[in-house]
Amino acid sequence: MSTPERPTGVIHDIGYQRYEGPRLGRGYAARSLFVHGVRSAYGLGRSPWAKVLPIGLLGATSIAALILVVLNTQLPVEVIDYVGIATTFTYAATVFVAVVAPELVSVDLRSNLLALYLARPLRRADYALAKLAALASATFVLLGGPMLVLFLGMAFSTDNGVAGVFSELGGLLQGLAAAAIHAAVLAAIALPFASLTGRRVFATGMIIGVTLLTAPVSGVVQALGDGASQQLAGLLDPVSLLGGVDRWLFDGGLFDIGPYGPVYGLAALLIVAAGTACTVWRYRKVNS
Amino acid sequence: MNTTVMSLTARALLGRRRVLMLIPMPLVLIGLTLIGIMTGEEPAHWGPVVFGNLGLGVILPLTALIVGSSVLGLEIDDGTITHLLTKPLPRSEIVLSKLCVAWLVTTVATGVPLAVAGLIAGSAALAGGLVCGALLGSLAYCSLFLALSLLTKRPVAVGLVYIMLWENLLVNFVDGVRVFSVKQHATTFANAIAQSDMLDDTLSVTTAMIVAAIFVAVGIYGATTKLRSFALTGEAN
Repeated sequence: MSTPERPTGVIHDIGYQRYEGPRLGRGYAARSLFVHGVRSAYGLGRSPWAKVLPIGLLGATSIAALILVVLNTQLPVEVIDYVGIATTFTYAATVFVAVVAPELVSVDLRSNLLALYLARPLRRADYALAKLAALASATFVLLGGPMLVLFLGMAFSTDNGVAGVFSELGGLLQGLAAAAIHAAVLAAIALPFASLTGRRVFATGMIIGVTLLTAPVSGVVQALGDGASQQLAGLLDPVSLLGGVDRWLFDGGLFDIGPYGPVYGLAALLIVAAGTACTVWRYRKVNS
Repeated sequence: MNTTVMSLTARALLGRRRVLMLIPMPLVLIGLTLIGIMTGEEPAHWGPVVFGNLGLGVILPLTALIVGSSVLGLEIDDGTITHLLTKPLPRSEIVLSKLCVAWLVTTVATGVPLAVAGLIAGSAALAGGLVCGALLGSLAYCSLFLALSLLTKRPVAVGLVYIMLWENLLVNFVDGVRVFSVKQHATTFANAIAQSDMLDDTLSVTTAMIVAAIFVAVGIYGATTKLRSFALTGEAN
């Protein structure tokens, strides 16, 4: 009878150590996600093809601003001011959010990445809000960049010395405020739609559908209505709505809103609130 | 043409909830036409906006963009295109089958509401013209966007820039660009049949037909050529 074999296995100490460094919590994770979102909105850290459209749009608007600087300084009257840039370039900004919003959320949805994010201290609402903030900031950069170009051009060509520069600075701050409002509203419209589907095709289609389909509706109501209905028609599509807000706050918009300025402001506020709520609510339902 | 490929494509396109996405657009079109009728205003006043700008200028390209770039794009995204490519089918047959489905779906989704709106607003001639315009426009758009979905990884972004910046923005500033705008081809073709003051055409019918035919040919040729040497890369970006 042979003796039972004695176990020969040994547990070696190969030097595993506990992590004792600082634990970067929820805030850090949310901040990282935000920074990553803004970067990927412009295709930074991605393939060159991912950069073409966002950087191209930013470049195109900045070049347009440069042309406007030349026009402003050469012509006797000012062609466009800072708020005017926000109003005019909103159209480009809608294209931008329609392309970028799916980029930010759809890929995560399609490949079920949310579970990986939630394995960190990040909560569902943090993820949604970080993405929303990233989209809004990226849009703000798109609108604010041309304003900065305009400011630099105008500040260098001012005739009144320091006073002139400060008056331009005041205009720039107004313009940036308008840009922030535009960015918040557009992002709040785009992200809830983008978070509905994991396919970029359909997400982009839905977002652009909202802006493109509503524009003729408000156009027709404006053309056919009179008085109050004409002045309120802008509420029906996002671009005119933002034009109305510009008109109310900065006296810069393109069309007549009569005494209904506060209505436009309230509508913009409601859209931002509803869009944020929808995004957060949507991410409560996403499987992970 | 291959009926199996066609039926599979149609099922992938229409078999899910996403087909519901196509519903709001026709509703807006018909609703606006009703509003226009009810106000009793001159049709020439609002007709170009509703039929030209909204119908043939937004709904048609947007539907074509979604449908045209997803018939092949979805298969590329999912990687199922490999199954299709390993079958002993000529590449041109695959492209033509896909294009055919996209064309049919786009035409039905835009032509029917346009016809209804045309009948409400005016005459059978207007409805017929709009349907023909949608037929031509959707063929040109679909073949362009189908080729785009093979040539770039972001067909929707590129297509969107074409629709928004080229057709809706640049055309307003630079007249010569009209020749290369599918929207203008469709409007011209529609008006050639309808002869209505509700449509603004800007090109001659011959030019529109020839350039649209070139668009279709280039789209099909580009897609077929690209599909011959198609390499499936794993990168999602």
